[in-house]
Amino acid sequence: MIPLGTILFVRAPDVTRIEHSFPPVETRAHGANVLAGGPIEVVSIAPAPLRPGVVSVPLGKPAIKIFGYLFPQSTLADRAPALPAAPLGAKVRRAPPPAATPATCTRLKPPGDVIKLADRLFYVLQPPLETVVAGQALDFPFHPFPYQFEGIAFLYPRYAAILADEMGLGKSMQAITAVRLLLHAGEIRTVLLVCPKPLITNWRREFQLWAPELPVVVIEGEQTKRLWQWKTDCPVKLANYELLQRDRDALVEPGLHFDLVVLDESQRIKNRDCATSQIVRSISRSRNWALTGTPVENSPDDLVGIFEFLSPGHLSTTMKPRRMGQLASDYVLRRTKDRVLTELPPKMFRDADVTLTSEQRETYRLAEDEGVLRLTELGEGATIQHVFELVLRLKQICNFDPATGASAKLERLEADLEEVAASGRKALVFSQWVGTLDKLRRRLARFGPLAYHGGVASRRRDEVLREFKESSERRVLLISYGAGSVGLNLQFAQYVFLFDRWWNPAVEDQAINRVHRIGTAGPVTVTRFLALGTIEERINQILEEKRELFDTIFSDVEPHRHAGLTRNEIFGLFRLKCPSGPLDLAA
Amino acid sequence: MRSRDGQSPPALGFLTVVGHEPLGLFGGYLVLNHNGRPLEFHCTTPVKPNRAQEILYGPTLEPFLYGEQIGRALVEKSSVDVQLICTDLAAVLAVREHVSQPVALVLPPEVEERPCPPPGATASRNSLPESGLEARPTPATPAFRIDAAHVHGILPAPFSLGRNRLAIAADHADDRQRLAGVLESLAGHFDLSEPFARIRGAIDEARRGAR
Repeated sequence: MIPLGTILFVRAPDVTRIEHSFPPVETRAHGANVLAGGPIEVVSIAPAPLRPGVVSVPLGKPAIKIFGYLFPQSTLADRAPALPAAPLGAKVRRAPPPAATPATCTRLKPPGDVIKLADRLFYVLQPPLETVVAGQALDFPFHPFPYQFEGIAFLYPRYAAILADEMGLGKSMQAITAVRLLLHAGEIRTVLLVCPKPLITNWRREFQLWAPELPVVVIEGEQTKRLWQWKTDCPVKLANYELLQRDRDALVEPGLHFDLVVLDESQRIKNRDCATSQIVRSISRSRNWALTGTPVENSPDDLVGIFEFLSPGHLSTTMKPRRMGQLASDYVLRRTKDRVLTELPPKMFRDADVTLTSEQRETYRLAEDEGVLRLTELGEGATIQHVFELVLRLKQICNFDPATGASAKLERLEADLEEVAASGRKALVFSQWVGTLDKLRRRLARFGPLAYHGGVASRRRDEVLREFKESSERRVLLISYGAGSVGLNLQFAQYVFLFDRWWNPAVEDQAINRVHRIGTAGPVTVTRFLALGTIEERINQILEEKRELFDTIFSDVEPHRHAGLTRNEIFGLFRLKCPSGPLDLAA
Repeated sequence: MRSRDGQSPPALGFLTVVGHEPLGLFGGYLVLNHNGRPLEFHCTTPVKPNRAQEILYGPTLEPFLYGEQIGRALVEKSSVDVQLICTDLAAVLAVREHVSQPVALVLPPEVEERPCPPPGATASRNSLPESGLEARPTPATPAFRIDAAHVHGILPAPFSLGRNRLAIAADHADDRQRLAGVLESLAGHFDLSEPFARIRGAIDEARRGAR
């Protein structure tokens, strides 16, 4: 025991000892030491040699494991154009040179179905599309919008994809540019683009505009010529759906393979059992893209039909819409103008509710009573076809009274067109009947109307559009939904009149978007005619429900109420009970 | 390093380190040709210094880990000879002592003209150029020092080549001339800071894929 007041210092083994003594101190409770006086007792301790323990801290070097990935020699960013030069006479307009630092930076993202890490990294490590475009000296007539770069980046890595942008956002341009980049990179060599026949010239024009260096052949003409065209080495082939049916045998010949097949207006194959769907599915191909503004026109089965072409079995008709939307999400890119083109002039809707003239009212009442009576008499034998016949008849009466030609809608339309003409603007008038358009053409003669419908020869149609665009005397274009709702660029007009309503809103949207699209000069006014107290009003309710169905699949928003068109609802148009037995959904 | 075909195609190396809590540091090395096309990519498994290393290396830990260990291992793994190596982290400049190519620190264009402090200095988070520093792991405990760290020299003032702002290790001042020679034809249109976003994306992809 070392007495209080002794302090020992032990510093190191080679120092024998150090002793210091202090006078005794008293430790008080509060901790202060107080000198107590008296002799100092010294205690000497002979320290044993100390050998302090040594603790070694191994720093070491971290073990570093490295994974390496090598990339193929030919990829997106590193190809001088290896394609034939632009055809003679092709005009190439250059977009303004990109800024030194691109305003946007759009990167390729690997699709969800690419599993291998090396494959995913291949896409992740590619340069931004803007850099590729600038570095490859690819000419663009106009600098693409950022959302268009995103669309190109979406299509580029995908073997199965639906570009479902709203009409007017430039699906054609995005698809063509993605094709162009893939061809330049050597990732694909043969492309087949299929579209409705009236749109062939439009696509050819779009290719000349956006990819002037790509040789494009349109499959057309006599059978011998077509068979030869199918076998040519031209990298891009354009064909229409109707022609595929005639050339079915040639398409399935061994050796005919396409690296990419693009279906424009792919809702044409929504019915899996139709011949067109079967034919396109039989084409030997590696990649499949579908372009449509309306992947779901009537029911979720439409989307299943398109996926049978893209990725068979991925969706099934037994799935609920929300589940279907989840599974399709990685394959579908859908943008609307409201979201991506905030600078686009507004689209304003006017619901022109008209009251039928007395003549129309009387004719309508008689026709409806008679039709409902007949349906009632048919009882269980009534089919959906019977209902449709009555609907069409009533809708026609809502347009014009067949006996007198009276039309409340026409009266309203004439008043509106006076205003349109006075302002120096142009208008489109849509109807589903050529007969209605013919009547309108006669009654609206003072506005110099032109007609664009199935009754106009294909070779005349481009001329009609050109005249409508260029002639100040031509204020009105009368268009049928069937012929003019897709593929036309009529953004120089600013008024759209839906003289009668189509069965599904997607077709109406397509019609409206002929005008409301990129390049629109000003606000677009859409007037939807609706005859009050008639079948049109009831159909309008169904159209609204279909819009909700679309939202259910392509957005995360829960529907507010049941969406879709059931048999009961179809018969319910006339307050009839649905008979038993199979019925198709409304077309 | 030798190119696979025995030749040395013009190529640029981009080297960075990404911190991830709680896994540690991932190194990434991307080799691009002059068009920006990827030729090779190498990445490390996560590296995490232990507590003793954090204490004893102090402010020199980052140059040691980023440059000497991770960076050097990645560059040596590559089979393509690069003309220069770019990084967006000052600490990675330490790799310059172990490679023959010039190493450039790519600075964001908005950084105002001022000399850079030493790469290992603890205060670097506040005073160094902002590029990429967000990706660095925050040390578990703050370090304090009153003298200069043992680093490879003070960085000279940044300089511009084309559209890029660069800095180099002070001990290798002649790198500036070599960089200018390589980047003379490239720097005008090549954004040297862009590939680091690709590396981070790839590391993130690899990390998620490894789970």
